[in-house]
Amino acid sequence: MSQSPILKISGLTARVADEDIEILKGVDLELGEGEIHAIMGPNGSGKSTLAKVIAGHPGYEATGGQVLFRGEDVLEMEPDERSQAGIFLAFQYPVEIPGVSIANFLRTALEARLDGDEELDLFDFQDLLLERMEMLDMDPSFAERPVNDGFSGGEKKRNEILQMAVLQPLLAVMDETDSGLDIDALRVVANGVNTLRKEHPEMTVLLITHYQRLLNYIRPDYVHVMVDGRIVRSGGPEVALELEEQGYADWKDKEQEAAAV
Amino acid sequence: MTEASVIETSAPAEGVTETLNREAVERAAAQEPTWLAERRAHAWDVYERTPLPSTKLEEWRYTDVRRLLDLDALTPAPRPEAGTGEALLEGLDGLPAGLRAVMAEDREAAGHVAIVDGCVRHVDLSDELARQGIVLTSLARAVQLHPELLEEHLATHAVPPEEGKFQALNAALWADGVFLYVPAGASLDLPVRVSRWLSGGGLAVFSRTLIVAEAGARVSFVDEIVSDDLDAQSLESSVVEVIARDGAQVQYVSLQRLGHRAFYQAAQRTLAGRDATLDTLNVSLGASVARVDLNARLLGPGANSDMLGLYFGDGDQHFDHNTSQDHEAPNAHSDLLYKGALDGHAHAVFRGIIRVHEGAQGTDAYQTNRNLILSEHARADSLPNLEIEADDVRCSHGATVGQLDQETLFYLMSRGIPQQPAERLVVMGFLGEVLSRLPLGGVVDKVTRAIEVKLRHG
Amino acid sequence: MPQNEVIEGLGLDEYKYGFVDEEQHVFRTRPGLDEEIVRQISAQKEEPEWMLEFRLKALKIYESKPMPTWGGDLSELEDTLDQIYFYVRPSERMGTSWDEVPENIKRTYERLGIPEAEQKVLAGLGAQYESEMVYHSLKEEWEAQGVIFDSIEDGLRKHPELFRKYFATVVPPGDNKFAALNSAVWSGGSFVYIPPGVELDTPLQAYFRVNQERMGQFERTLIIADENSRAHYIEGCTAPVYSTESFHSGVIEIVVLPGAHFRYTTIQNWSNNMYNLVTQRALVHRGAAMEWLDGNLGSKLTMKYPSCYLVGEGAHGSILSIAYAGDGQHQDTGGKVVHAAPNTSSTIVSKSISKGHGRSSYRGLCKVYEGAVNSRSNVECDALLINETSRTDTYPYIEIEEKRASVGHEATVSKVGDEQLFYLMSRGMSEEEAMALIVRGFIEPIAKELPLEYAVELNKLIELEMEGSVG
Repeated sequence: MSQSPILKISGLTARVADEDIEILKGVDLELGEGEIHAIMGPNGSGKSTLAKVIAGHPGYEATGGQVLFRGEDVLEMEPDERSQAGIFLAFQYPVEIPGVSIANFLRTALEARLDGDEELDLFDFQDLLLERMEMLDMDPSFAERPVNDGFSGGEKKRNEILQMAVLQPLLAVMDETDSGLDIDALRVVANGVNTLRKEHPEMTVLLITHYQRLLNYIRPDYVHVMVDGRIVRSGGPEVALELEEQGYADWKDKEQEAAAV
Repeated sequence: MTEASVIETSAPAEGVTETLNREAVERAAAQEPTWLAERRAHAWDVYERTPLPSTKLEEWRYTDVRRLLDLDALTPAPRPEAGTGEALLEGLDGLPAGLRAVMAEDREAAGHVAIVDGCVRHVDLSDELARQGIVLTSLARAVQLHPELLEEHLATHAVPPEEGKFQALNAALWADGVFLYVPAGASLDLPVRVSRWLSGGGLAVFSRTLIVAEAGARVSFVDEIVSDDLDAQSLESSVVEVIARDGAQVQYVSLQRLGHRAFYQAAQRTLAGRDATLDTLNVSLGASVARVDLNARLLGPGANSDMLGLYFGDGDQHFDHNTSQDHEAPNAHSDLLYKGALDGHAHAVFRGIIRVHEGAQGTDAYQTNRNLILSEHARADSLPNLEIEADDVRCSHGATVGQLDQETLFYLMSRGIPQQPAERLVVMGFLGEVLSRLPLGGVVDKVTRAIEVKLRHG
Repeated sequence: MPQNEVIEGLGLDEYKYGFVDEEQHVFRTRPGLDEEIVRQISAQKEEPEWMLEFRLKALKIYESKPMPTWGGDLSELEDTLDQIYFYVRPSERMGTSWDEVPENIKRTYERLGIPEAEQKVLAGLGAQYESEMVYHSLKEEWEAQGVIFDSIEDGLRKHPELFRKYFATVVPPGDNKFAALNSAVWSGGSFVYIPPGVELDTPLQAYFRVNQERMGQFERTLIIADENSRAHYIEGCTAPVYSTESFHSGVIEIVVLPGAHFRYTTIQNWSNNMYNLVTQRALVHRGAAMEWLDGNLGSKLTMKYPSCYLVGEGAHGSILSIAYAGDGQHQDTGGKVVHAAPNTSSTIVSKSISKGHGRSSYRGLCKVYEGAVNSRSNVECDALLINETSRTDTYPYIEIEEKRASVGHEATVSKVGDEQLFYLMSRGMSEEEAMALIVRGFIEPIAKELPLEYAVELNKLIELEMEGSVG
């Protein structure tokens, strides 16, 4: 990596809050600006935990190590501060918020980014929202629906991408965005990410996935394999293909051997 | 001598005070027709022999009136002068500024009524509606103009004095109120708006509302009550009787934004005939104590009632909503949704009952109460009851009490929204569900603004 | 005693107040209740002074408390209370003769395939010797582990300190009118102690013990599950129990000490002349769990709300209840959970079936005190109505003083759907068979928690009850 990394994780350990079992056991990872990284791993390897710890989920607790975002330690920051700094987490299970429209939600999120005396121009906001929805090929009526309430799995994921398009983060962490999507919905979501990337090539993307499938649509520059709370292998796109053929079993065995030593 | 011995042997009836007594009832009835004077006297008899509710009574279990209300300190608000007609009603200019401000918020309406301390001070109704036979007037005047309608409906089959202590007190001492009559087939596209004002402390205000919608009529009614914070306790007592004949469609909305120290007591009853639709919305935001009894009776086959409620308490506010859904005819439908958020030391009670009477087959009845507790010291009690005496029914109820969902808060914060605005957003969304089910123009905005103010101050 | 003698047209009414009179000289108090009778009971049992004082104090409380005006109709009970004998020495209770057992109950025994000897036990005649053998071998095993499973009288006599430490601490006499009455005149019941760390695989069955000494009208049971123990206690049975007495008012107290896990299963199927007013409560300490499994099939009126007071951090309470109300029956049952410590959790699942003119009511309380942070409670009530004349009510009380708590209550009422019936009948079942199948399916989530023999018998019973339900 030529310039200094936008996200630098070193020696990160973490656990579920109030529980004793460590899930991340020392994660080291560097993401350069504009790069696309994928973290793959079996269920329970800790990859979703990593995504949540980066975003500051209160249910998880970092117990050691550092997460530097543009040189600043984010572990001490509140989730909203991380978001305003430019981190975006696309949720694996987006939350339903009855009674709060997507438009109202996004307006509040944008207003929160302004200084105290600044005000969001409602017409500008409307224009932005409509334009983003058009770019993602979404019906304008979508904005008036309550956030994720009664949405299909595909609609929830598209809503995540819409938020990403409106908030325009520097780092997008996509937590198993492909889970539960059929191939058409997967394509729509991937197209959305690729369109955004075209517009903002400097946006860094961290894809967290169990399957190689998503990587056919969003091509990663780097692929990392996570097993039992650690990155056990890093490389180019070819790593994903190896995994596709061999599965995770090998890695698990190696881990167990290592643990036995 | 006999009189003296009577006085000695019987303890004075509860709730009879220096100003709330039989003389006050007689004064109220002085210029009134006999039937009404007799009705008041009868109501007072009922009042005297009915004890003040205690917490031993199931329906008052969580609201200790004996502790929360001091009747001895209250004086009835002055009554309208006898025989006053619309001639004495003032223009808007003479009204208190607070009331004018409330009225100014209102959008278009079919007609307006302004009430100060229970007495009607202004009424207007468009000529076109008047020509259709629609009547909107003060109750005092309706006694003179429409005695037959009042004799039939006022405090008789909807809210008779036997319903309870406060119902009896109101029936004996009511000063004025609103009468709305919509003849068969007539229809109002815009709501009738009533704005009430309570002017100060130490008052006991008794007013009534009677709405009669004949077959196939259509009307909506927004009843708003407002005051500043008071320097001493006042009682605002309101009885609302709504009658929807076969196929009529009526919406009744009550919006309570009284100030601190007000004790608000409301008894509402809706009677829905065959295929009638009678929906209600009760919004409780103000007053120190608010007790609302709402009884929806579904009397005709195919009748339908949506019953919505919304409350937001903070400080030391105490809300008690006591609802009942009486299915007395087959194939009727009722659906109740009451939602509330509680901050500070607020305490909310919801007690609701669905009664499916024998023979009311094909009933659909639902009841949901949801509470959000926002502070360490707030409290919510929920008692959703069912009594089912027919077998072909679909009935369910649900009640929840919980805090803001942490996952939801994290989701919002992960989009850059700080904690407090995120909480506000969720609370508004939570309560907004109620408003979205009865989106009367103006009401949604008004309530949303009022809640936002409370949320920011909380 | 003559057996299987048919007495046509003998209604239950004739037995409403009847206590079968014997010629032998037996000890029993005269009808009604006063201080003298309480003294006699205590003297007869040769109790320590403190127990007599406790009883007398309880009598005063009983006399001062009014009859409850909520729940079921107790208006006829006051007359009954004036006429009943508050104490009869257990050995003299077996004066019922087989002749006097109502025909419908005999018929039910036959159809449930209950062996003759057992039928008599259920009807209050004699003891069943085979089961006693089983009981004795189990008892030896338990005693080796330090488990105490005795009559309540023996508990007081043999373990005075342990007894006194916990007795009436869970249900004080002032709790309610009938708890006070029980406290004054209690007789019969079990005393159970499970030592720390002891785990029992075989349920303790009161049924075995009861055969030795018939359960009284005013039974009193005290159970102490010491730290980290685990046990299951079963009381009652699914088959109808005939009693000439028309009033039963028990008190069950359970102390579940830290880390212990206790389950109490009770199935009552009293004959339809019985007022059954029982107070069942458990005090659940830190990290402990209490489960009530409560089945109410019989009686004229039952008022019973098993309770869990969660007083220690992380305590868990669970109440599963089934109620069946046939013609003339009112089951006013439910449960109470009180969260008085952080991180406590509770669930209540209640299923009721009302048939004919039967009425079943769910009455429940969920209370979360301020400070009981992160408490969770979930209540589900489902009512099934079989006939047009059946009735069901739901009266939950939810009182929440804590912000960091999550409480939910859901209830549904339904009737057996015509579509469901038609579907099953189109597969060749009779309407009654179909009805029974649907009802069994309805209670299955709770029935599956019962010991197998109980579940089997319950299913048979439902089939019998569904006969004649159609049309």
